[in-house]
Amino acid sequence: MEPFKHPGFYRVGRWFDLRRRKAGMWAYALNRITGIGLVVYLYLHLVVLSLLLGGPGSWNAFVSLARSPLVLVLDVILFAGALIHGLNGVRVALTSFSRGVRVQKGFFSVVMVVTVVTLAFVALKVFGG
Amino acid sequence: MLDVTLEIFRYKPGEEPHYDTFAVQVAETAYVIDALDEAWALYDHSLTFRHACHHSSCGSCALRINGIEKLACITRMTDVWDGVHPIRLDPLRNFPIVSDLVVDVSGFFQRMSASHMQITRDAEPILPVSVDKPALGVQAEAISLPENLTRFNRFENCIECGICMSACPTMATDEKFFGPAGLAAIYRACQQTDDPTETAHLLALADGEHGVWRCHSAFECIEACPQAVDPAGKIMALRQELIARRFKKSGR
Repeated sequence: MEPFKHPGFYRVGRWFDLRRRKAGMWAYALNRITGIGLVVYLYLHLVVLSLLLGGPGSWNAFVSLARSPLVLVLDVILFAGALIHGLNGVRVALTSFSRGVRVQKGFFSVVMVVTVVTLAFVALKVFGG
Repeated sequence: MLDVTLEIFRYKPGEEPHYDTFAVQVAETAYVIDALDEAWALYDHSLTFRHACHHSSCGSCALRINGIEKLACITRMTDVWDGVHPIRLDPLRNFPIVSDLVVDVSGFFQRMSASHMQITRDAEPILPVSVDKPALGVQAEAISLPENLTRFNRFENCIECGICMSACPTMATDEKFFGPAGLAAIYRACQQTDDPTETAHLLALADGEHGVWRCHSAFECIEACPQAVDPAGKIMALRQELIARRFKKSGR
């Protein structure tokens, strides 16, 4: 009889299983989620740019949509994703050169604090006019 | 005494996996392995789990307690029981499940063998017999360690329990990944040898598709390791060594 193995999709879920896991695992999962989000955004961005092909009319219609509160909230979420992915990327790069492995949890705290502070500033700028 | 409910993962070949619950009574000083023993003795002799030394030396009783990898023999019930909910016991992740809490560890030991590390302790200095049973008038012989012993590190602590392989999220989706213990063994073997050919072979293993570059820095192996082996630290040290060698090569 063959031993039991969980199916592939179930095992992918382990990337995001944060139950009782520590900061490093949160950073790992966040990096994956933000990475996927940024790739999706990249394609979305290309689609939006292709509106230019439709002339000034279609572009102006998009610009007015982009100023709606919902899209502005999405912009802030996008900025949060880019910040987390970028700053955590620096953390991962440093630890990958064997620098600061022992303090990687502290690094992640710094990443999140810088993200929150920067994001608060960005949100004020976006919604404060 | 503690009245605890254990929720144990059950699987037998040909059956669907499920959980069974066992109400057990154990002393407040009991360890999880004691509760498992109780469940086996009182309720179900078909319940399978590994255990041997009961003092964190053999690594056999590694499993997941409430989702987190631990050795059942050194985990106190009071440290994992909230006093209300059942304690959930699962087999290690990222290993094929043979029966209940028993997993197939052959892949793990194949990885350890790839580094040419001794799975048994043959490589360690052996105490002279006279230490155990000193003959009259004979002093125990002092152990002279090899010169490079100063470079030994805490990987020697590895008890091959497989906990780091279970905790690693990358292992879940790359079955050929050497994994934290396998790569730490390669690092340890690199330290142990003075043979450049052997070092090149070991570093080539670490540099492969399923080697150090597959690690994505979750660091759960460090958190879960019951022996402070620091596998991720060793993976990063291997990366540093590989990068340094590449720079040297391209500088020539």
